[in-house]
Amino acid sequence: MFVQATPSNFCLDPMTARLIMKLRVAQARYTASDVLHLTLVHPRKSELPAWTPGAHVDLRLPDGRVRQYSLCGDPQDRSRYEIAIKREMAGRGASVWAHAHLTEGTLAHVSAPRNNFPLAEGARRTILIAGGIGITPFVSMARKLEGEGADFELNLCAASPAATPLLPELRALCGERLKTWFSREGRRFDTAAIEPYGDRGHLYVCGPPRLLEPTLARARAIGWPGASVHTEVFKPLVDENFKPEPFDAFIASTGAVLHVPADRTLLDVLRANGLATASSCELGVCGTCVCGYRSGRVIHRDVILPLASRQDRMTPCVSRAHVSITLDL
Amino acid sequence: MNEQPRALRVPRMVEAFDHFAGAAAAATPGGATNWRGTLLHIHIAEAASYEMEELTEARCIAGRGIEGDRYFAGNGTYSPKADVREITLIEQEALDALARNDPPLQGGAIVLRPEDHRRNLTVRGVPLNHLVGRRFRVGDVILRGGRLNFPCKYLEELLNLPVYLALYNRSGLNCSIERGGIVRPGDAIELLS
Repeated sequence: MFVQATPSNFCLDPMTARLIMKLRVAQARYTASDVLHLTLVHPRKSELPAWTPGAHVDLRLPDGRVRQYSLCGDPQDRSRYEIAIKREMAGRGASVWAHAHLTEGTLAHVSAPRNNFPLAEGARRTILIAGGIGITPFVSMARKLEGEGADFELNLCAASPAATPLLPELRALCGERLKTWFSREGRRFDTAAIEPYGDRGHLYVCGPPRLLEPTLARARAIGWPGASVHTEVFKPLVDENFKPEPFDAFIASTGAVLHVPADRTLLDVLRANGLATASSCELGVCGTCVCGYRSGRVIHRDVILPLASRQDRMTPCVSRAHVSITLDL
Repeated sequence: MNEQPRALRVPRMVEAFDHFAGAAAAATPGGATNWRGTLLHIHIAEAASYEMEELTEARCIAGRGIEGDRYFAGNGTYSPKADVREITLIEQEALDALARNDPPLQGGAIVLRPEDHRRNLTVRGVPLNHLVGRRFRVGDVILRGGRLNFPCKYLEELLNLPVYLALYNRSGLNCSIERGGIVRPGDAIELLS
């Protein structure tokens, strides 16, 4: 099943280039048994590029892979970035690499921040729901909301306190606004706890599909408008039933026809023909490679484009088309 | 998913005097001749979008570029496009003008530091706009001016600074390297022909 991200207020700036910095790992410590908490500083500069709560950076691996991690420090502190990386043994290897290689004193190749998951302006009530490592974007959000004296609560779902990243920091930040749901203590998050939508309410969810899907379904069922529900997903959506088919891509500006075989992505084919510009996650989650299309039936497989954009925009790293498509390139 | 390592592209350099601008300018006499400039800073970046890093000396390879730079390696933002990109220069005087908001086009002064403008060499006292189609030396290295550099939106995005209009017509010079060697800050820069 696909999870539909419905970010309402996000600023889609997919083509914006971002500076890549080689930042020194000033501190590497475990904040849970399998979560590495890194503090990154610039070797030569006292100030890093500014960011806002909800922002992420790209971490670049030596082999060219790129992964997104939410910044979980304090946006007011321009001297450092903090990220938390969960070791995913069943993942695609990037987190295992990071845990093994990003020790204190090493250099991490990190992009300037981007925010696809910002806090909405003018919220009357804010509900944050995090599952496990999905807590990371909410640390800076909670800090900002707390600082503004805003009405908010943070629901944190994890197996146990020991398995929860950044728990002491969150307790100090949020006090009674932090609601913990530890499944090993018999308190599993119940979507029935989601309160009904109220005027200028905003709901933010970040976590694995098993949390995201029922939460979004419940929010819809009890009347939350899509524009007030915000999600961020840094994982590809697994759809075992999807079978890629070949198709042809017409390039509007040149009339060229590019054949996209079943075993290659559109981005790959565009790149091979000198047409793709920037790309990053190649999972349909970051929006870097988004491009326009004029006609054709697109099979949207990303989780970044809002519904309204899908009529003329697509994400060539994961999305495909039936038979043929005309690209605005 | 595509997870293969980034393949280094083969850099496709255009020799300065083979470029239409360099060729036309080389056939046209004129330009400032009685000047002597200085190399202030050398910067390179290992790949597209990476921060520039300052060098105390750099090895220039004829026909290729500066060792360690993204255009030498063929992994720069514009590497796929054949062009004159072995080495790029910009005038410190242009950066000084930006810093005093002169001309006042973009709503305020812009501090564009030598490590931020993404050209390789920051020079003082060198009339770069006069050097298209000309040969000049930086220390022992001989460069050929191929075309005027042109500001790009990409730089604006990277820096989050409105430099596009501000750099118009003073964005520097793209050169090819006729004779390689080592350059260092402080090297004299002189017109040859």
